[in-house]
Amino acid sequence: MSGNGGGAGTSLAVRIAGKRRLTSRITEFDLRATEEPLPRFTAGAHINVRNPAGEVRSYSLCNAPSERHRYVIAVAREEEGRGGSKGLTDETECGDSLWISPPRNDFELRPALRYLLIAGGVGITPLKAMYHQLTAQAGEREPAGVRLLYLSRSEADAAYLSELAGAEGVVLHHSGQGRGRLDLWPYLAEPDEDTRIYCCGPPSLIADVRALTMHWRPSLIRFENFAGVAGTDGTSTDFTAVWHPTGERIPVPATETLLGALRAAGIEVASSCSAGTCGTCKLRVHEGFAEHRDLVLSERERRNHLMPCVSRAASETIVVGPRGR
Amino acid sequence: MTREAGTAGNAETPAGRVAALFVYPVKGLSPQRVKTLPVEPGAGVEGDRVFALARPEGRYVKGQRQPLPKDQFFMLARDARLAGLGTHFDAPTNRLTVAVREHEVLSADVSTEEGERAVTAFFGRVLDCDPERPPVLARERDRRFTDVSVVSDGMMNAVSIINMASVRDLERRTGAYVDPLRFRANIYVDGLPAWCERELAGEDLAIGGLRLRGVLATKRCAATEVNPETAERDLPLPRLLHAEYGHIEMGWYAEATGGHGPVFPGDRVVFGAEGDRS
Repeated sequence: MSGNGGGAGTSLAVRIAGKRRLTSRITEFDLRATEEPLPRFTAGAHINVRNPAGEVRSYSLCNAPSERHRYVIAVAREEEGRGGSKGLTDETECGDSLWISPPRNDFELRPALRYLLIAGGVGITPLKAMYHQLTAQAGEREPAGVRLLYLSRSEADAAYLSELAGAEGVVLHHSGQGRGRLDLWPYLAEPDEDTRIYCCGPPSLIADVRALTMHWRPSLIRFENFAGVAGTDGTSTDFTAVWHPTGERIPVPATETLLGALRAAGIEVASSCSAGTCGTCKLRVHEGFAEHRDLVLSERERRNHLMPCVSRAASETIVVGPRGR
Repeated sequence: MTREAGTAGNAETPAGRVAALFVYPVKGLSPQRVKTLPVEPGAGVEGDRVFALARPEGRYVKGQRQPLPKDQFFMLARDARLAGLGTHFDAPTNRLTVAVREHEVLSADVSTEEGERAVTAFFGRVLDCDPERPPVLARERDRRFTDVSVVSDGMMNAVSIINMASVRDLERRTGAYVDPLRFRANIYVDGLPAWCERELAGEDLAIGGLRLRGVLATKRCAATEVNPETAERDLPLPRLLHAEYGHIEMGWYAEATGGHGPVFPGDRVVFGAEGDRS
């Protein structure tokens, strides 16, 4: 992990130097530093980006980590999403400034003899950076050491297709027009202690790869999923929140998030993604136990913080307050 | 607590039918549905929990006859990943097979040293053990690796039973689908009033030709949080039970005291009565 920043922390100003349609849904942003070189990153890292409406989303960096003057992200415009990607795609122009966080890497490449990278749709972004970094270092590894499976519905839906088509070790598969999904089993049948697997894509792909690698050593397999999580589902139960600054007791029913209940009680908590991924609504836990459901806090942060947009209480009562500085 | 119509409180003795029967040859691994449940008084369910994967750093050593607590073994409560493997043990051939989405990934005769090594190496990998310290395949003649084996030998041989109506009541209250196989029982019973076992768990009962004595309501642990299909920890069952009912019980254990097995699907389940095969 890079250890830089974390949470929302959109403290870096960048300028949109380029904006390019990669597919009908996916737009690439070339983000340049306004002054000094940008903080270093490693393949697999992501940044949080605040869109013009103030919503924060996480995006993987897909340019080469050796580039110090820019960050490149590819944004899939989600018609059904919570609005973050729509705002970024529709309401920005070249030359606009954006606030971003320093890069953070929860999907870091670890040393191995061989790599299998499995990308679905816009999940190609972190894996393209990994592919380029690994093939650039190919001298240190056996020639066939990197394989990239890139799955999309059609050629037209596949970002960076021309860059990757025909490249060594790249397998392209388009499931549309009756071709169906790629049979992943031939790639996963033999568990190999010297291969690491990195997978980024929609939940269905992640579920498939997870199920098909149950006979592998789990520490060799890493997933990245920015789809987010939900704070209320069949597993939620009622609890009581106590707002530390005032001592007010706020019942949180199973059908409501902690964040929603606090707001309904008139307590202002800044938030953005509502999915436990951006880090904006982080609160301090003073007493009680959290049931963490977020995808953003580190184990260390979890000891005394929680993300109220998705996380709940594991105890009957939990005392929370502003995160402080 | 609400009760459904025709509850245990009524004069009529509740009666149900056996809906499904399962054995679990290896502790923590897949359920195996059986056409008949081979169970006799004093002997427990043949082929149930006769193997376990012991933690390499733990207290189990080959030949150990003393029962050990469940934390000495790999189990779903801590090792949810085990649910992602489809395992099958064929007793006549001593062959354990493991599949991943219908693809066979292991087939080994556990009566041979070579087969046992293949099994422990396989699970050592899946459970992320140090390759030099794989799990130990635990098996001891006439011993079963059930959670309650530490209570007594009688409890070790007890049969676990689930009242399907109670599972459905929990589903209705929580709005969540609850796969009954989360509870890993030997006998699943339909037709009983929901939660009648809360009052009858200590009563005698008859299942087909077998007479049993209820001995213990089953308190549920984190193993039930694991989805048997996806191996994800996706439903906090102990917490849901506590929130809905104020207890964490689901199902009960009963010791076979008389009569004879096996138990068949459709067998009558009658509390406090002689069994029959009607």
